[in-house]
Amino acid sequence: MDLLQILVNGLSVGAVYGLFALGYTLVFSVLGVINFAHGAVFTLGAYFTYLLIGGAVGANGLLAGFQLPFALPFWGALPLAGLGAALVALLVERVAFRPLRRRRADPLLALITSLGAGVILVNLIQLLVGAESYAIPTGALGGLPASFPLLGARVRTVQALLLGIAVLLLALLTLWLEGSRNGKGLQAVAEDAETAQLLGIDSAAMVRLAFGLSGFLAGVAGGLVGLSVSIAGPYFGIGYGLKGLAVLVLGGLGSVPGAVLGGLIVGLAEAFVPADWSGYKDAVSYGFLFLVLLLRPRGLLGRPLPTKV
Amino acid sequence: MSVGRLLGVGTGLLTLTLLAGCATDPGSQPVDVAGGVPVGAVLALTGNANVYGQDQKIGLELALQHRNGAGGINGNPLKLALEDSGSDEPGANAAFTLQINRGVLALIGPTLSQQAFSADPIAQRRGVPVVAPSNTATGIPEIGFFISRVSAQSSVIAPLAIERALKIQPGLKRAAVFYAQDDAYSTAETTIFQKALKEKGLDPVTVQRTQLNDQDFQNQISAALREKPDLIVLSLQAVDGGNLIRQLRELGYKGLIVAGNGMNTPNIYPICQKYCDGLLIAQAYSPELDTPANMAFLKAFQAAKGGAIPPQLTAQAYTALQVIGDALVRLDKRQPLKGATLTAARKALMEEILAGTYATPLGEIRFTPEGEVIQTQFFVAQVRMDPGGRSGRFALLK
Amino acid sequence: MDAALLEQMLLGALLALSVYLPLRCGQLSLATPGFYAVGGYVAALLSTGVPAFAGSGATSPLPALLAEMVLGGALAGLIALAIGGPVLRLRGIYLAIATIALVEILRVLNLNLPFTGGAMGIFGIPQPFAHAEGYVLFTLALLALACWLCQRLEALRLGRAMAAIRDDELAAACVGIDTPRTKLIAFVASAVLAGVTGALAAHFFNSWNARAGSFDASITTLAFVVFGGSRLWPGPVLGGLVLTALPELLRPVGDLRLILFGAVILLGPLFFPQGLVTAERLHWLAARLGRGRHRGRQAPQAP
Repeated sequence: MDLLQILVNGLSVGAVYGLFALGYTLVFSVLGVINFAHGAVFTLGAYFTYLLIGGAVGANGLLAGFQLPFALPFWGALPLAGLGAALVALLVERVAFRPLRRRRADPLLALITSLGAGVILVNLIQLLVGAESYAIPTGALGGLPASFPLLGARVRTVQALLLGIAVLLLALLTLWLEGSRNGKGLQAVAEDAETAQLLGIDSAAMVRLAFGLSGFLAGVAGGLVGLSVSIAGPYFGIGYGLKGLAVLVLGGLGSVPGAVLGGLIVGLAEAFVPADWSGYKDAVSYGFLFLVLLLRPRGLLGRPLPTKV
Repeated sequence: MSVGRLLGVGTGLLTLTLLAGCATDPGSQPVDVAGGVPVGAVLALTGNANVYGQDQKIGLELALQHRNGAGGINGNPLKLALEDSGSDEPGANAAFTLQINRGVLALIGPTLSQQAFSADPIAQRRGVPVVAPSNTATGIPEIGFFISRVSAQSSVIAPLAIERALKIQPGLKRAAVFYAQDDAYSTAETTIFQKALKEKGLDPVTVQRTQLNDQDFQNQISAALREKPDLIVLSLQAVDGGNLIRQLRELGYKGLIVAGNGMNTPNIYPICQKYCDGLLIAQAYSPELDTPANMAFLKAFQAAKGGAIPPQLTAQAYTALQVIGDALVRLDKRQPLKGATLTAARKALMEEILAGTYATPLGEIRFTPEGEVIQTQFFVAQVRMDPGGRSGRFALLK
Repeated sequence: MDAALLEQMLLGALLALSVYLPLRCGQLSLATPGFYAVGGYVAALLSTGVPAFAGSGATSPLPALLAEMVLGGALAGLIALAIGGPVLRLRGIYLAIATIALVEILRVLNLNLPFTGGAMGIFGIPQPFAHAEGYVLFTLALLALACWLCQRLEALRLGRAMAAIRDDELAAACVGIDTPRTKLIAFVASAVLAGVTGALAAHFFNSWNARAGSFDASITTLAFVVFGGSRLWPGPVLGGLVLTALPELLRPVGDLRLILFGAVILLGPLFFPQGLVTAERLHWLAARLGRGRHRGRQAPQAP
């Protein structure tokens, strides 16, 4: 029974890590760089969801007291929040990535420009809506119970939903990548941007597509995590940035199923740390990452990467 | 000129200019009261402690209005310079130095205990009074003569809260303890809670460590619930504590929960929502304290914030500025600030702060010669959430 | 500008040089804050725990500080030596992430070990200098020494080997350069510099805790180098000085402070992809200044 509970706990935490890393990995697959503004886009997704379900801004920002004139149900608000986040991600691409690409500058610079974009977004959130927490009400799921029993373990409904949605999004994304023209185009650009260009694929459009998708996933993940643990202020998503990195590498940089698998593994690894050693929890996941990097630098599901990094 | 030599000469010149431009210590000059009596505050307005700083800022603004509405420092207004420390030590150090060089008479801050251990020694060495509004770690007033605080440690409140829990449910036997091991406040408070539990014969059946930025506690909760606790004691801040409570309840824990000072803020409402209901809180500040000082503070806060309940951090920040203001009024009457040198005025102010007794929103307070606060009233409250779980109150248990 | 801020800027410049050293041979290591934290703990533990290090006067003895810096640097260097072999086989972003993981592991250890003071860390660290000005002069000497060593490196075989690896590791190996050894030397040198800086910083900041070496610090120190320029040592020094000072200098804009800071980090690399300091700009500057005194002289040689 205990084992099952640990599995459940690990998987449900891992689902969040995986969702977060999915967006990271999409951008990495086409550009070979990490988008440090991803955490801020995730945060924005949560705030968008809060506003769309009719939440009011508190008393501390420039927008104090602001409220949208309408209120959507949670499941309607979530995809819209994803779209909003996608627009922000496109904006980040426009200002922090595209100028560098156009100048053929060192991709390393994007680490810093995207960090700058993230700092701007986080502080803009604080300026507009303040630093306080916001709740996506526990009632947003309608009449579902808060938790349910599963073979002797107990599962929070929100977490089960998160896990389900992570797996669903992974499946949809894989189907789309394998089955659609744009999906194949994206893969081709990820494989080799220059050859793809020669084959008539608009690689700039594919990069935008990757950012848009990554933003959408971040926004949806942000809204869901906000439902699970409330929105704890402008730094809400930043904490996942570091964990997301571990997941990204563990699963294999640029691998879509790898991101979800990596998330679940990190979640499980953390869950299996004995309670008395919980202080070392973070070190366990990074120690694990360290080992995997040394033994299998491409990550668990990574393909041999071109040397563009 | 070779590039190497150019760089050498350039660096040298740069250094000389920088050193020449260094601000000199204003301590030997007279206090500048022309634009008001200068006091400084250093709060974590950005970084991951930003919500604390935001709550504290409101408290300072209200206290400033109150003091200047009542005639300032004997006719001269109190002038407050507020600086952001970020949430780290270098930021706090830089802001403290900046304020001291500006010639402030006293400092309020910094927000976090870790920042205090780094920045307070600067004020101590330069002889500037510090009144800490929120540092609860052990060893803060001991930094030196010039360091004091209005934020009481939980030594008195923690046993009170445990006693109260035993009164509500006399048969309690199995206590589980949670604290954030990377947070200075949490680690200091849990020691006091665990001692109080032992004194009541309630040896904790399990102690679970969390991290300040954790949002998911199912592992720790599963481990704790396996021990079948009937009392859970939390030393956590609003966000991590609120989430822990929500997850405890969602995962089926029905027993009593006692929380410390860190959760004495309405900021927990959006986090644990309806599950906050019934939470016992050890308070260093009660919004329901029925004294003129607290009523005045409460009224001002509610006018400014649309009827909301003030967090403990806001009340403590208000108190810190009130203490400095009251002490300045007394000092200025005895020996006028105008004309005194800054160093002498700062020292006299520190002595005055330590000598006084203050009627504040926290109740009546004074200080030990070391600068530790002596607070006469502590409270235990129970959270009562409104139906719908959006808002609630901290109902004082008498 | 006060001396305390100047001291923070100088510490920033030293950390930037520590990130620059591995980058000089093409290795993107973000481990600097981890080694910085280790060095700081060595100084904090010795000076608060061993009476001889604290001294009996108003200020702690200078030889004690020097000894702590040596020991802090040595411990950091040893850790780097122990892990450098396997870690440096990784390239590019993989190396960056592995070193971030290392920083995180060190942070967790610092938080949990029984002698490092937990969340509060170690406080009440004695002062070797009575005023910030003392720190500034001492740190300036240290920075000058580090810069001089970096400048010397340009002329040495080792420096040229490092540059060759940065330009093309495979080619460098083909012409007989011992690439693993060269990379390891750069990595260890970086760790030693960070450890020494940490030992000094622990005194200056009065207290030391696990937050000194974090993920955020890894990225910030990288920004120093990218912003200033990663090809020549004056780049990181300038980047460290400017980016440490910037949030303080932006105080007059109030709430917009960090938004503007973010904008500078965002726009800097867009407008100066090579960083602020490049060989051309240095030559131009040297030529301009040189012309005044030595009219007609030839353009100076590259450093």
